[in-house]
Amino acid sequence: MDGQVKGTVTKLSSLFPVEEAQKAAKRVEETIAERQKELNLVGDFIADNRGLINLVQKLPDELHHDIMVPFGKAAFFPGRLIHTNKFLVLLGEGYYTERTSKQTVDILKRREKALESQVESLKAVMQDLKAEASFFDATATEVAEGLVEIREEYIDNASPEKVSEAGSMTALTEDEEYANMMSKFEEFEKEELAEESDNECDEDEEYGHMISKFDKLEEVELATKLFSKCNEDENIKLDFGHYRSEYSFDQKHRNSEGHQLNSPPKQSKDAQAIGEELPSKHAFQRDLCNQFEDSKLQSVSEDVSPSDQSYELTQSISIEKASVLPEVKENIQAEPHSKNKAFTGSIVEHTHNLEMKPREQTTATSQSTTTQTSKPVSRFKMQRR
Amino acid sequence: MDSIRQEKVQRFEEFVDRRLKPDLVRAISERDKVFEQQKVFSDLRKNIENLEKNSVTSLRTLVNLGSEVYMQADVPDTRRIFVDVGLGFHVEFTWSEALNYITAREEKLARQIEEYTRLIASIKAQIKMVCEGIRELLQISDGFY
Repeated sequence: MDGQVKGTVTKLSSLFPVEEAQKAAKRVEETIAERQKELNLVGDFIADNRGLINLVQKLPDELHHDIMVPFGKAAFFPGRLIHTNKFLVLLGEGYYTERTSKQTVDILKRREKALESQVESLKAVMQDLKAEASFFDATATEVAEGLVEIREEYIDNASPEKVSEAGSMTALTEDEEYANMMSKFEEFEKEELAEESDNECDEDEEYGHMISKFDKLEEVELATKLFSKCNEDENIKLDFGHYRSEYSFDQKHRNSEGHQLNSPPKQSKDAQAIGEELPSKHAFQRDLCNQFEDSKLQSVSEDVSPSDQSYELTQSISIEKASVLPEVKENIQAEPHSKNKAFTGSIVEHTHNLEMKPREQTTATSQSTTTQTSKPVSRFKMQRR
Repeated sequence: MDSIRQEKVQRFEEFVDRRLKPDLVRAISERDKVFEQQKVFSDLRKNIENLEKNSVTSLRTLVNLGSEVYMQADVPDTRRIFVDVGLGFHVEFTWSEALNYITAREEKLARQIEEYTRLIASIKAQIKMVCEGIRELLQISDGFY
């Protein structure tokens, strides 16, 4: 760590050679000169136009003026101007119109305005070019002075340890991170269980509480995830396989664990209670569906009362299947294991986990695949502790 | 040996780029100016001949005041015409005098054009020759090494 060079030092001259910078500056200067010429030309036009306006205004003062009438470019006749208030003005595209002095002056003034706007735009362009030229000049001088560019990657406080000591250390730090979360989670769970046992009658309310709590939890989790996402992304290559195995194991473990926590009669009751309030709570329909689907699958092994099952069936049919599918898969995956274990489990613990999943899946679709893989990891890591 | 040759080639190229080509461009632009003059005078001749043929003594024309704004002008007597003879001098001619002058002027302009054409041709020939020399130099060096 100490002897390690953190950043990279690049000589500016290797990026922008002196000659190149000078060449660029020269080219911009040339462009500026061109624009200056254009500007001068337009300025001449404006001056000419002003002179012409004066002339056109003055001509009608007298009936005729003695002039030399040009005859071709190399000859002229002595003559005079007549009809001094009648001008033939070019409108463009070869169309001419007869105008009086005042009308001609109006036309010329409009032309002047157009020319002035042209001057403005040219000046703006020149200013831009001048800024560019000064930048190139500055670069050239900097390069000539031998300036170097020092670039250092920004590294999080947590990640240097991980970069230096991958493996067990990384797992530890991450676990520490989730320890906080986990304690909170458990607290919530305990509260919830207490509440559940206290007021079983108004479980609608309890359900609402649960939802809000888990929303909060999810928020906390997301926050920590955002914080630790970069770390995880870094680690994901190292620990991916490890996590993978953990994932399936934890899931199975959790399933069985969850089932053991709660008593069997509660499960049916819980499901029924939530089922009753389903029509009113439209927003939770999908969550409930997952829940029902889940309980249905488990009921195969658990032999829940037939009435319960039928109820669930009707419910699950009414709900879209696409959202249910992942859950089903997961449960199937978990099933062989749970068969081995004596099933006493209830749905409550399960419900919570499942309830979170569909939401997470919707969010995960918009996120990158790396975060998608890293997400369950964090959850199950948390669960394990 | 090779470096000397390289230097020579470079000097030839510089000669072509910095001396001959600008010369050529200048000669061509000069000739174009003379062409313009010739056209002006031939137009004038045609116009005077027209006036003669139609025996126009008074003329009404449009004068360009600038920026394509025209005003009518009246010429009471067209028999006297002022012709540019160069260096900002204008001489008052009658039609026949003007026509004589114009023919003389046109001849001179034609001579000038011929001169410029020759000059341009010679410059072009020199450029070609130097280019050929460069090519030969390079070919020889290629053949040796």
